[in-house]
Amino acid sequence: MAKTRTWVILIVVILLLSGAASVFLYAPRSPAGGVARIYVDGELVRSVDLSALSGEERFTVETEGGVNVILAEAGRIRVESADCPDQVCVRRGWLSSSPAPIVCLPHRLVIRLDGGGAAVDTEVG
Amino acid sequence: MRRGPRRAFPALSLALSLLLTALSGCSAAPAQTATIFAMDTVMELTAYGERRCVDEAVSAVYEAEDRFSVTDPDSDVARLNASGGGAVSGDTQALLERALELCALTDGALDITVYPLVRAWGFTTGQYRVPGGGELAGLLEKTGYDRVRLEDGTVSLPEGSLLDLGAVAKGWTADCIAGIWREAGVKSGLINLGGNVMTVGAKPDGSDWTVGIRDPFSQELMGAVRVRDAAVVTSGGYQRYFEEDGVRYCHIIDPKTGRPADSGLASVTVTGAEGVLCDGLSTAVYVLGLEGAKALWRENGGFELVLVTEERKVYITEGLEGVFTPEGSYQSTEIKVIRRG
Repeated sequence: MAKTRTWVILIVVILLLSGAASVFLYAPRSPAGGVARIYVDGELVRSVDLSALSGEERFTVETEGGVNVILAEAGRIRVESADCPDQVCVRRGWLSSSPAPIVCLPHRLVIRLDGGGAAVDTEVG
Repeated sequence: MRRGPRRAFPALSLALSLLLTALSGCSAAPAQTATIFAMDTVMELTAYGERRCVDEAVSAVYEAEDRFSVTDPDSDVARLNASGGGAVSGDTQALLERALELCALTDGALDITVYPLVRAWGFTTGQYRVPGGGELAGLLEKTGYDRVRLEDGTVSLPEGSLLDLGAVAKGWTADCIAGIWREAGVKSGLINLGGNVMTVGAKPDGSDWTVGIRDPFSQELMGAVRVRDAAVVTSGGYQRYFEEDGVRYCHIIDPKTGRPADSGLASVTVTGAEGVLCDGLSTAVYVLGLEGAKALWRENGGFELVLVTEERKVYITEGLEGVFTPEGSYQSTEIKVIRRG
């Protein structure tokens, strides 16, 4: 009986520990802002931790199709200018908490925000 | 002494397996994702299941593009357009049949033969222009879904008529992927084909998927719907347009006038179980306008609507009460509910 009780207690302890571990492991890791990842043709070309930025960070991404000038600030990122014909990526404006990436289709460039604290799973429109 | 550890082993392994389950998150299946460029958009696929489920979905997208692309000269659609018809089979036949049904259901507000008009306005190439009245009248004579014949797997098109399945192909493809995943036992999956969303099952934690709807007047969200096993598709003139002499011309052509639709709606979101229905109806309802949308919804089942007018008024059909929640500046907007009665 005593042994059974010991094992029951041990199992309860392990369950409590695993519960605590899962809470710890699945809690958001970065503060508001998240990490912006820039992909060209599916390949990751640059990561910017938006929560670590204090000022502006401007950089150029060159693709086979052309050039995108990207501006990152604390908590947000946008395509400032691009030489693509449709300018859809520039018109999209700031990305700060959306699961929908900024896309420059002609240049096959995608900017995705991970850990931005989005309230929705995906977007339409 | 010796009996203790022997009996303890099953208990310990049980505890360990529980620990591992907790560590693997809410679902035993990991998220498999793919981002692909196809059908002139970016597509994102997420399935909680085996890797092959996503790989098969990617193949299905490319296969659909090979069949339905209007610009690829080797596609089934381009082949029909080049020769004025011909034999069709499989998915091409099935989608054509469904698309023609939707054209009839919407009394031609959706029309899969408007391609010559879309081309005349420059939306196929980006070389935008405003065609003259005579040119539009001539092109209108070449359009009309009701002149397309599809009998026993053979299509015949009138002289000068061109098919374009762009208004239904993504919804159809989303249905195909959802079918593949359900057959493979995927309990949770999210498909976003460039704004054409399909959800499979619920989220891994068992809750509904939340799909945000973009505000046609800003880059923010205007609202969100909570769904499971449902498609969510939005059409709006703000998505693609050009301006000339201060007039905005949107990419959705009204098949009756040959001109960009100007119905008073800024965006139309359709949700329901069938992706191809939602896809086709989002275009049709944008052309029909508010009153036409009400009539179409009252006469048919299988879908619900979120409508935003050019005056920023919001209408939802009654099936979305408690499902739609407004976001941002729309939280102070009155949400009007369209009812059956």
